[in-house]
Amino acid sequence: MNVSLKWLSDHVDFSEYSMSELDDLLTFAGIEVEGIQSLPDKVVVAEVLSSDKHPDADKLSVCQVDDGSGTPRQIVCGAKNYQVGDKVPLALPGCVLDAGEGKTFEIKEGKLRGVDSLGMMCAASEIGLTDDADGLLILNPDLESGTPLSEVYPAVFELEITPNRPDCLSHLGVARELAALAGKELSGVSHHGNSETPYRRATDEEIRISSENCPFYSARIIRDVKVAESPAWLKEKLESIGLRPINNVVDITNYVLMEMGQPLHAFDMAQLEGGIHVRSAEEGEEFLALDGETYSLIAEDMVIADSKKAVALGGVMGGEKSGVTETTTDILLEAAYFTPAAIRRTARRLNLHSDSSYRFERGVDPYQVAGASDLAVKWILELAGGTVEKELQVRGELPAGPAAVALDNDYVRSVIGAEIPDETISSILTSLGMEETDGAWQMPTYRLDLPRPVDLVEEVARVYGLDKVPSIQKSWFSPASKADESFDFAAKIQTGLRGLGFFETRNLKLISEAQLADNVATNHRGMSPIRLKNPLNDEQDYLRPGIVPGLLATAERNVRFGNPDLRLFEMGRVFTATPKGGEVEHEHLALLMTGARSPRGWANGKPENVDIHDLRAVLESFSPSGLVLNPVEDDRMLCACSIEIGNGKKAAKIGMAGILPPARARELDLETPVMVAEINLKKLAAASSQDLAYAELPKFPGSSRDVAMLVPVALSAGEVAAFLAAHQEPLLQSVELFDVFQDPSGEKLPADKRSLAYSITYRAEDRTLEAAEVEKAHAKLLDSLKSGLHVDFR
Amino acid sequence: MLTELEAIKSDALSAIEAITDESSLEEARVGFLGKKGRLTAASAGMRDVPKEQKKDVGQKLNEVRTAITAALEEKGATLTAAKDAAAFATIDPTMPARALPSGGLHPLTHVLNEAVAVLRRMGFALAEGPEIETEWHCFDALNTPEDHPARNESDTFYFENGKLLRTHTSSVQIRTMEKEVPPVRIIAPGSAFRRDEIDATHLSAFHQLEGLYVDKNVSLSDLKGTLEYFFREIFGSKTEVRFRPHFFPFTEPSFEVDLKLHATGKAAKWIEIAGCGIVDPAVFSEVSNQRGDAAYDPSEISGFAFGMGIDRLAMIMYGIPDLRLLIENDVRFLGQFS
Repeated sequence: MNVSLKWLSDHVDFSEYSMSELDDLLTFAGIEVEGIQSLPDKVVVAEVLSSDKHPDADKLSVCQVDDGSGTPRQIVCGAKNYQVGDKVPLALPGCVLDAGEGKTFEIKEGKLRGVDSLGMMCAASEIGLTDDADGLLILNPDLESGTPLSEVYPAVFELEITPNRPDCLSHLGVARELAALAGKELSGVSHHGNSETPYRRATDEEIRISSENCPFYSARIIRDVKVAESPAWLKEKLESIGLRPINNVVDITNYVLMEMGQPLHAFDMAQLEGGIHVRSAEEGEEFLALDGETYSLIAEDMVIADSKKAVALGGVMGGEKSGVTETTTDILLEAAYFTPAAIRRTARRLNLHSDSSYRFERGVDPYQVAGASDLAVKWILELAGGTVEKELQVRGELPAGPAAVALDNDYVRSVIGAEIPDETISSILTSLGMEETDGAWQMPTYRLDLPRPVDLVEEVARVYGLDKVPSIQKSWFSPASKADESFDFAAKIQTGLRGLGFFETRNLKLISEAQLADNVATNHRGMSPIRLKNPLNDEQDYLRPGIVPGLLATAERNVRFGNPDLRLFEMGRVFTATPKGGEVEHEHLALLMTGARSPRGWANGKPENVDIHDLRAVLESFSPSGLVLNPVEDDRMLCACSIEIGNGKKAAKIGMAGILPPARARELDLETPVMVAEINLKKLAAASSQDLAYAELPKFPGSSRDVAMLVPVALSAGEVAAFLAAHQEPLLQSVELFDVFQDPSGEKLPADKRSLAYSITYRAEDRTLEAAEVEKAHAKLLDSLKSGLHVDFR
Repeated sequence: MLTELEAIKSDALSAIEAITDESSLEEARVGFLGKKGRLTAASAGMRDVPKEQKKDVGQKLNEVRTAITAALEEKGATLTAAKDAAAFATIDPTMPARALPSGGLHPLTHVLNEAVAVLRRMGFALAEGPEIETEWHCFDALNTPEDHPARNESDTFYFENGKLLRTHTSSVQIRTMEKEVPPVRIIAPGSAFRRDEIDATHLSAFHQLEGLYVDKNVSLSDLKGTLEYFFREIFGSKTEVRFRPHFFPFTEPSFEVDLKLHATGKAAKWIEIAGCGIVDPAVFSEVSNQRGDAAYDPSEISGFAFGMGIDRLAMIMYGIPDLRLLIENDVRFLGQFS
């Protein structure tokens, strides 16, 4: 909401406050100052002394203006809406104006079509006052030429009023709040809740209410008004807060709205057929609002109608045809109380937000309705003349005002944690307009946000200020939660991967339907990805069932940025739906490796690309006891493997690893093989949580024998390793594959065979082995390999 | 004999002196001290030395052997040192480092880890909750009016079954209070979602850090002390912290926290960093209804809650101008925080 400092001064005198002191006062009232608008420097009031046609341009005029310097200034101007003698804003050379979109432009002396122009005469939009770009802004003729325009339109605060404080959505409301906090007198508020106009219950022909969303409606009839332009003071007031003046009657209703926060509406009685009927809209009823749009209504909406048609969308916007225009002579002035929820629903459903709906949906003080009507009537009579009906026609009942709240001052002190004396509490609440009787506080009718004791505590805390509250530092011993354990485990993995040259990424958890095909996470039977009901766009309409799709998108981006060698990991939630429609969330870890195995440099100018064995090395770093990659059928990857940890019955499948299909890699412009893996972090943590224990170091040396064997290409190293692991030989200590050789040409080895060379170590715990013992054990192993795996030795 | 020994010594020392390589040194050792060496041969002549001279000749023999051995060792050491020096002479230590793979954590992880570390020192334990939430946990239980704008489909992501993507980590407050009885002292870092078009200052998914302390007699002064300590630990002991009255449905009184950071060369200004307040009794009432017990009876216990945006913390700590950098994952960007 825009609040003019000059307008505030109608009610409270802040002349001794600096802008920053006022800013602080507002801020600590809980009213956020989002910005302070002031007009640009070097814009002054100027009088148009003469205006002649431009010799070389039909649409331009050459004007002489009085800028207050005593010497006429020549300005070339394209506008047509002014007359000689008008006062207009003049931007002098050097003035910097806002050009929109964050840009500015500077006014310079120059020539327009060959004629000197020493400045620019401005429209209201050009100096950032209102959105009116239609011709020059015509100023109050009484202004002195040369007066800086910032004196005519002083600074305006852009305030953010929290939803609990609708009472501050007006100049009077803000002034009232600030006066309370600064301990100042509030003046010029005679109309608030103090209507002296007699009520008269309207007849059914005059006003009927059949909507429950309008507890109270009032109308005042004013006849023979003269609708005209508003006087300068009123236009300046509205312009200063960014409102465009329309005519005196409409401007007065807007003025009362911004002054008191009470929306009003003036109908042209000539356009009303019969009396006012406040009713629910009919399903599908069409309504042409004064914004020029036609809205289709539902029964939930409330309209103000005459006997034939809707003339206003209650509390939201008037109708295009029933408003006050130059031809209007008789007016029906509406002032009503509408229930917040109804207005909010309609405004939101139609996405039609007005200054009026903004206030009604937050809550307007019902007890100011008549006073606001009085204030408008007073100004209409003064500015537009006419005669007013003596009585205010009303229908409905005002809702009950806020109830008194009993407050225990000890409760206040305990919530705030400060020894605030009783007198201070009382004086704070009193300053905010509350009255105490028997330990209970009665709030003013405009404070609808204080139904409970804790709400009064808030008022005390706010005004007392947290700066005066002591700071207590206390802590305690917290046992680690499951979340603590997960966090610590994740941190360990992060640190490890970072050391292995991986960068951590954080991708959006929302992905496209197309990206779902990149998912490699273990699929459980019947689990499906989860789609949003109301996605922002079709790039982000699914919750990710795995992290790899995001990593691939990141890889694609990075290759585009010129980073082809990538080691990426990400941890976070993934989401799937169960067949029954429940959601499951898991914490996953995903890895991606592509490009060179080591950075290119003088020591290695042509590093090889990473392969699946590099990925396995990374995976093994997670588990001290090693893990198994078990090839599985899965067309989402080449070399697809299930990642398993642990032995035998305790073996846990914790994820999937493999190579992205080259066709997909090419689509993503990834030119080197892409390794990916996705792991369930909780399962990894469980499998890695074994207790570490000391094992005695060997005291006696071992003895190694090498064996190179020729095996069918189809026999995997994993199968050989499993066979060796199962071999019953107490002296067998370890097996290491140290050479692999294959010759597809068939020259050195048959093409369907490959050579695997192992170094096999034997050791006894209690003695140094004799050569004969080793030979015996090794011979037994070779026999076993020969008979069990049918291998030949080279 | 003595003369001969003296000559051997003199010959040996000058020969050794002239040696410039290790094989010549070995030859010299063999030539003088080896089995067939000159000194060995000469010492064989001891037999013929008259008895009264044996002592002198013996001494001379030892002296010569010691001198030659010492000269050999000294030369050997000199040659080794020269070889060592030559071996490293061609190294250019100004060459670029042999490349190691370099990795790093995401800036948000750095910020989060630091924040969590400080809060753990203060005795908070971690807590978590689902990101797909019920409307009750995300809004109702947090005293959010039924027609609050945040519940709108234009602002919040929903699923067909009526659940939603949590719009704040405050739902973890409720999840925790459902399971645990007071005293509760938790922090919950996590993702939250709002239906915002992505731009420099908005992400549809962002990161928050939630805190909740529920106990007997928890007051604003506890909240103030906690957050002041926290922010000074993170941003430095000179950081000014102020609490500005504000409004949230689930706390009363509510405050926004501003920091004034003192960075060299920059004018200090207040930056909004967190929201906080005393847990609204209505939240405890909702939780109590759900639990069906009096563990969170608002007349017996009280609490404070706070929440802050981790993305915003990262922007401030590292001067990151555009939130989109945080989800783009350009490794050149990520590398700046390793």
